[in-house]
Amino acid sequence: MTIYAFASGSIRCGFFVSCAAALVILAGLLLREKSGPDGPSSPIAGRLSALRLHDAGSAIILFSAAVLTTASAILLRAFITCDFVVEYVARYSDLTLPLFYRITAFWAGQAGSMLFWALAVSLSGAAFVLSRTYRGLSTQTRQWFCLFFLSVMAFFHMLLSVWIKPFVLLDFTPADGLGLNPLLQDPGMIFHPPLLLLGYGGFALPACLALAQSLGARAGLRGGSEDAAAKAAIRPIVLVSWSLLSTGIILGAWWAYMELGWGGYWAWDPVENASLLPWFAATAYLHTSIIERRRGKLRRANLFLLCLITVCAFFAAYLVRSGVVQSLHAFGDSGVGAPLLAFTLLFLYMAAAAAFARAQSDEALDEITSREGLLMMTAWLLLAVGAIILIATLWPVILNGLRGVSPYLPAVLGAKIPQTPMGLEASFYNRACLPLLALLSALLLLCPGRTWKGKPGAFLHRRILYAALAIAGISALCLWSAGIRHPVALSAAACSIAGISGIILHFAAKPSRLVEKSFLAAHGTHLGMLMVILGVAFSGPYQQKYTLELGRGQVGAAGGYRIAVNELYEGESRIGADGKPGYRFLEAELLISSDKGARVGALSPQRRFYAKFEGQSYAEAATIFSPGVEIYAVLLGIDEERQTASLAVNVNPLVNWLWFGGTLMCLFPLVLLRRRPSPDHIAENARPPAK
Amino acid sequence: MRKKSGKRLYLAALLLFLGGVGYLVISGISENSVYFLNVSEALALPAEKLQAARLFGTVGQEGIARLENRPGVRFQLEDKDNTARTLWIEYEGPVPDTFKAGAEVIVEGRLEPQSSFRAQTLMTKCPSKYQKENRS
Repeated sequence: MTIYAFASGSIRCGFFVSCAAALVILAGLLLREKSGPDGPSSPIAGRLSALRLHDAGSAIILFSAAVLTTASAILLRAFITCDFVVEYVARYSDLTLPLFYRITAFWAGQAGSMLFWALAVSLSGAAFVLSRTYRGLSTQTRQWFCLFFLSVMAFFHMLLSVWIKPFVLLDFTPADGLGLNPLLQDPGMIFHPPLLLLGYGGFALPACLALAQSLGARAGLRGGSEDAAAKAAIRPIVLVSWSLLSTGIILGAWWAYMELGWGGYWAWDPVENASLLPWFAATAYLHTSIIERRRGKLRRANLFLLCLITVCAFFAAYLVRSGVVQSLHAFGDSGVGAPLLAFTLLFLYMAAAAAFARAQSDEALDEITSREGLLMMTAWLLLAVGAIILIATLWPVILNGLRGVSPYLPAVLGAKIPQTPMGLEASFYNRACLPLLALLSALLLLCPGRTWKGKPGAFLHRRILYAALAIAGISALCLWSAGIRHPVALSAAACSIAGISGIILHFAAKPSRLVEKSFLAAHGTHLGMLMVILGVAFSGPYQQKYTLELGRGQVGAAGGYRIAVNELYEGESRIGADGKPGYRFLEAELLISSDKGARVGALSPQRRFYAKFEGQSYAEAATIFSPGVEIYAVLLGIDEERQTASLAVNVNPLVNWLWFGGTLMCLFPLVLLRRRPSPDHIAENARPPAK
Repeated sequence: MRKKSGKRLYLAALLLFLGGVGYLVISGISENSVYFLNVSEALALPAEKLQAARLFGTVGQEGIARLENRPGVRFQLEDKDNTARTLWIEYEGPVPDTFKAGAEVIVEGRLEPQSSFRAQTLMTKCPSKYQKENRS
């Protein structure tokens, strides 16, 4: 018992300590600002600066990480030892759950996932504080960094000790827990939430660092040079977090496709959309930051974008945990919505203030047809897609607000606002976002080959560009004649085929570039993205869905294939090698052949019944893997009397390109990590380029 | 001088771009809007208005029946706050795994005159992963 009291006590203690530390650091910084660079004017200021606040701050960041690590270890121990007196453990695990799933039940609910998120943020902070990069920062920057990061940590400690307490104890110790939902007992679902949370968590650090760097440079050096070491540290952290977040999103989509059995991978549900907001902001930053790194421009915009990523991550948490929009899988409101929203808005305000308060304005960009211009347009596109998703997700809330103020609006406008709650259906997102993604694939065709300087037509490898453009035209014609007439899908597919061939040609033309890390990472990630776009362009609009009711030996037709039921089974599985708990199952063995009779393969979709979740059954979808058309079958049920199986059979063209491209997209950015820039390189990049 | 014209070009491009995005959004909003309603709100509306709606509610205990000869289900959708207010839903298609009495569901479809609400999609809320209410 006492161990849990200790855990919640130390989380609370972490709040007070980090809050106090942040306040003292703030006081120190304000006093120094007042006294000017010549030295402290008052004795208090002198004493505060003698305290080496940045060291104290880093020590408290380490302390907070230690507290959260201990608390997480205690919760994990409770899961491993099945200590059901902890309500959270009793709610999400039971005695029959294998050890592996008992460990992963840690993040199965609201409190545990919040603790995990806080842990991810604090560990990233601790690792940074201990790194060599951190020691290379100026004291000013370090102090500001500690201020921002400790405020974030204080906020997490507060959430965990006031609204979402992981260590709520029951009055009695139940004999067994309620068990983990079978849908969550799947590798895809097990790794999807922590990867998302690690991604969200990793974005907090660069934002704090960028704010610190900007304010430190302003206050301490009076318009002098920036803290180049801090700048150089930001992009790699964003890259890792981006990669983790992308993996989380892709895994979530894959899990929905394989495990949920509804045949799709993306439903444009508010919770799914929430994870895309920081993704689009981060992707936009990764592109505009190239302009800053290579050309020394866009500093303000990048500072703002970095903070925007963090804001989006917190806002995503707000959407998921506040109940502001009705969603398939949002957490219920636990009172945590208001503080999350307040924190998000505060951070947004700080970001805007810091970005726009910068004294020196940035140098103007080159012409719009230059590489800078194309990169900028890429960022616009990405941000626009993010903004559309945000507006559409919040549309019911926006309308509600408008209805509230409609008496004060001009009558023409007021009459247009519907008086009943309205929202947007999934087709809205496809209609509004997919054309922009098609445009993005067109930009991907042009941008990487464009030179930084030179006339509008100056490209690095003209021949490759011409070849790619020719391929785009030819593939558009081929696709058109093959019956692909959906204009957005057609253009997106043609551009991605051309883009993929262009990238392959680039590598083929100069194989030595394969060892160039920045080239490899950028082109590899783009290759993955283009494959994802290609997969979506086909599997979205050209998916075919069928429902069949077949007895043994009967044959049904689905999209040019013949589906024959060979056998129906009923069986039981004990805790097996795959680590899943025991269940009863029904199974249909299907033989698939093409219309002409050629055998394509066999499928065995199952329907499972778990002891702990009586009265419910769970689909285990089966697919015939193919890089082309994938056949996907779900057993909906077996009619005992008539001995027939009802099946949902989908024909999904090119869906595996999505998973394969997604994997490439998540892995290639990691190539850049081993690149440690030399000090000269940093200094050179920190300077604005010579005219 | 050249810099200045560059800036103007950016502004023009941005306006053009925003115009395009605005068109996409506004045309989408005007064509893809549906009612987002709780059961009691749906019952308060005249039937002819419910031609495209997304309803939120919980599955009632009474009268759940699978459709004969084809996958699908007929059930009463209860208002989340006032369980006395219900609406019959008829859904044809694969029934989600977690569908059961008491489950929170979302249905999309339209109200047939003089009959039940015919749903094209039926989605259930993720169950145990997400807890329902604030617990004391």
